[in-house]
Amino acid sequence: MSVIGSSSIRTDSNARIRGEECYAIDYCEPGMLHGAILRSPVAAGSITRLDVAAARRMPGVRAVATASDAPEVLAGWVLLDTPLFARGQVRYAGEPVAAVAADTIEQARAALDAIVLEIAVTPAVVDLRTARSSGSPLVHPDWRTYLSPAGLDFQRDGNIASQLLSVQGDVDGAFAGASLVVADEFESGRQYQGYLEPKSAVGIWRDGRYQVHTGHQYPFNVRDRIAQFLQVSPSSVRVICHAAGGGFGGRLDYGLEPYAVLLSRLAQGRPVKIVNSRTEDIETSGSRDNSLITIRSALDAAGNIVARELLVDLDNGAYTGEMALMPSVSLLIAAGAYRVGAARVTCRLLYTNTPPTGAFRGVSGVAMYTAVERHMDHIASELGEDRRGFRLRHLFRSGDALLNGQVLDDADILRAGFEAMEKTAPWAAVSGRTKPYRGIGIAAAVWITNATPASVTIKLNEDGTVGVLTGASDIGTGAFTMGVTQIVAEVLGIRPEDVRLSQPDTDVASYDIGSQGSRTTRMVGGAAQNAALEVRSRILHTAGQLLQAQPEELELVGGRVRKAGDTGPGIALSDVALANTWGDGPIIGTGRYADKPVAYNPECAKGLVFSTFPTPTYHVHLAEVEVDPVTGNVRVVRYVVVQEVGRMINPAGVVGQIQGGVSQGIGFTLYESLRLEQGQVVEKTLEAYRLPLALDLPDVEIVIMEHPSADGPHGAKGVAEPPIVLVPAVIGNAIADAIGKAINKTPITPEDVLAALREAQA
Amino acid sequence: MEFLSARSVEEALQLLRAHGEAASILAGGSDLMIQLARGEVHPALLVHIEGIAELSGIAQHGNLTIGALTTHRQLATSARLACGYLALQESAASVGSRQTQEVGTLAGNICNASPAADTLAPLLVHAATVTLVSDARGERTLPLQDFLRGRRTTARQGDELLTRIELERVPARTADAYCKVGRRSAMEVAIAGLAARLTLSDDGQYIAEARIATCAVGPVPCRATSTEEFLKGRRPDERTLREAGALLAAGIAPIDDTRATARYRRSVMEGLLGRALRICTARVSITT
Repeated sequence: MSVIGSSSIRTDSNARIRGEECYAIDYCEPGMLHGAILRSPVAAGSITRLDVAAARRMPGVRAVATASDAPEVLAGWVLLDTPLFARGQVRYAGEPVAAVAADTIEQARAALDAIVLEIAVTPAVVDLRTARSSGSPLVHPDWRTYLSPAGLDFQRDGNIASQLLSVQGDVDGAFAGASLVVADEFESGRQYQGYLEPKSAVGIWRDGRYQVHTGHQYPFNVRDRIAQFLQVSPSSVRVICHAAGGGFGGRLDYGLEPYAVLLSRLAQGRPVKIVNSRTEDIETSGSRDNSLITIRSALDAAGNIVARELLVDLDNGAYTGEMALMPSVSLLIAAGAYRVGAARVTCRLLYTNTPPTGAFRGVSGVAMYTAVERHMDHIASELGEDRRGFRLRHLFRSGDALLNGQVLDDADILRAGFEAMEKTAPWAAVSGRTKPYRGIGIAAAVWITNATPASVTIKLNEDGTVGVLTGASDIGTGAFTMGVTQIVAEVLGIRPEDVRLSQPDTDVASYDIGSQGSRTTRMVGGAAQNAALEVRSRILHTAGQLLQAQPEELELVGGRVRKAGDTGPGIALSDVALANTWGDGPIIGTGRYADKPVAYNPECAKGLVFSTFPTPTYHVHLAEVEVDPVTGNVRVVRYVVVQEVGRMINPAGVVGQIQGGVSQGIGFTLYESLRLEQGQVVEKTLEAYRLPLALDLPDVEIVIMEHPSADGPHGAKGVAEPPIVLVPAVIGNAIADAIGKAINKTPITPEDVLAALREAQA
Repeated sequence: MEFLSARSVEEALQLLRAHGEAASILAGGSDLMIQLARGEVHPALLVHIEGIAELSGIAQHGNLTIGALTTHRQLATSARLACGYLALQESAASVGSRQTQEVGTLAGNICNASPAADTLAPLLVHAATVTLVSDARGERTLPLQDFLRGRRTTARQGDELLTRIELERVPARTADAYCKVGRRSAMEVAIAGLAARLTLSDDGQYIAEARIATCAVGPVPCRATSTEEFLKGRRPDERTLREAGALLAAGIAPIDDTRATARYRRSVMEGLLGRALRICTARVSITT
């Protein structure tokens, strides 16, 4: 019986429910010291004095590190612009200036207090409007000297860390000849990943190498950042992962790991553990970037969009992380899921003196789809046309291309999505105004399955179970403990619980770009399937000899090998494994998986460094909200997702990701303010930073469409990111529908709603 | 920091007499533990009183008497409060989460004297008194409003223990309500809160008495006496409610903080009064 498409239970769930799981934050080493980091209290300034002499003499202190204890280099994922410790200049409030390791955490904190730090404050670039203004100070006066490690051709200029410029067709002509021009401006805030487990690391300097224990989405990134910062070869660093309590993009770049290993070296190899307080974690997580988006569309006399223009400004914070890739993503979403004619897209990533932003589920997509889909509602209302009908008129068809020239062969799935939505929530019925302060929103999206290749090794154990070895990690999504596990079990005819997973270890496993971009089930699952097929063929070879049959006559069922059609017991996998272990050698299989390159037009833009949406998936969302006219609170009373997933490997996992993604999106839209005032984070605790609660969330209605892709394991496509990308768009549309006034910002606070209501009434 | 657990009121009072201001009283700890963790308070001694059974419970002999250690959860689920004291019940049910409601106590909420304390506005509209006992001076009773001296300050002396709270008996044709404003549905410190107790005239047409109290819109939860006077003798119609709302909003002194701006608080209060009074009138008509 096939396990593909069954809701098999996560193989890690029992340990997690019982509290037995050892998360990275639980990990300890004998003789371990405790580290703490001194961070800049101001957004910008010159360090005029940094004196750690008194701190070094404090009781229990074993090491104190500052910029002078590390090589004088700049490091970074895609752009080398980040120092380990501030050297001379501080560029954001929260930037590490020094670190201490001591016998106890109290001693380490006391030593931080004893460090003398004096900073001459300089004018800070506190927001995007300042950063892009002509007279703005430069966050990095030396920006010209920065290099890209991957040799990527970022278009940079002063406070612009990366930009994309694309002009396609006669944009100016279209606007000049337009019957109607509709313009909007959107402002989008930051969002904290809000995972349960704050970041931590245990660093060890041992035998001339750096070793670090952490919970991470992308351990090889940690390895490479440590290698850059400390100027050693990547193989001189070993990153060992432990269970991670959530990631959502927040654990893709390095965190505390380089500081922990450096302190350990300075403390003669004593292991050093550093754990973020929740406040440190909120202040430095690498939150979702805030943005300012200006969008306008030209329409002809028939009400067709004939041109689109977008100016997108994204906040990089003080250092770059992966963000320099993001302007490219804006081009891929500038049209949304619709035909827009000629297009001019300018997207800039701007340095500010604020905590660096980073990856967050649905990178760039959340703010971009909000702008595009809120704008679609605005155009429809200007035309006096039904919002759904207006969308359907412009909806992509199979064979249409994104603005990068990538042809979407299967875009008609979008239309099927609208039809499926119509069956669940008929538009005429739900949009008929039955109650005051109730509103409906609808929107559609195309999203990516990150196609970075993967490799997996599988070994057959002597008891007939298998072990899976890979550099990829499961950060709590179940992509491993359900998806990859089931794919392996399916090939080998064993139970999912007989597939043993391991945490990634960069010394052991091969390179993997990590759990990101909705890629794990497809890419790592594809590699695991290929590895399992190799194991299978070796099993059949041996079993054929033992059963005196041709390998192609055999099948693997219930942990045994038998002749296809036979009802007899055949031979147990454990017997095959033992025969090999003492015969030809233990059975091992390796597999790799890569998707075919996606064709696109490299001439479509300047600065295109993230060029395509491989294995696209299609999405239609609908929300119904109720607005409280006294308080301005918004309640999402109904939320429907129609999602195309290729093939469901584990329905419970798919549903969980969708409910979770929508919940996180509702949090961002209505509850989670992460404001900055003069470069300082305002919401510093989970009391002030309000994650939504179960009480605040609807049961999401989910309609799955399966259009298996021709390749990939069982035709699976990405699932986990797209549920979040449309949420602020549909809820924003629904609120505007409910109160008759648009609120073009995210999050939409009760205060915004009440002010808009008062304005509408006035 | 020392920790001593008292088994009786007498034992607690002796400890407080001996240590006075240096001691903090620990009941459910839902406020104190956070303050300790943040380093906001530095007591030399914690006097733990959670186990003193005689300080818990709700009884009605004329006035309603509530023991100091009665938890928010007990208040939220007590049948005794269902007749006439729904506002207190609603406020207790809105404090923090189920977990904190199970440990947090009414006296703790009072003595913490947060401007945003949920139960205080309902207690004020029921003209609550608090009774304090000390080993040296015995018992004294004072109105809750006088007990609350300012933001996080009360009239409690270091050697005193708050033992019980008394609420007035509720007259006929009277109902109450508590409306809380928060960004999410639970785990929320009130952005603004309003309790109302409304008594209608014999014919049910006029407001015989209205009591209004607010929280989180000033340094101390307090009654809105000018709004109360305005409402007295009027019909509870839309126009009156609107005017009363405007009067209330003009009389409060909210501040800007992380949770909301003063402007929002004022704006919300205006509509919240009408909402609370409409609930009260509906409740009066159901119960009479």
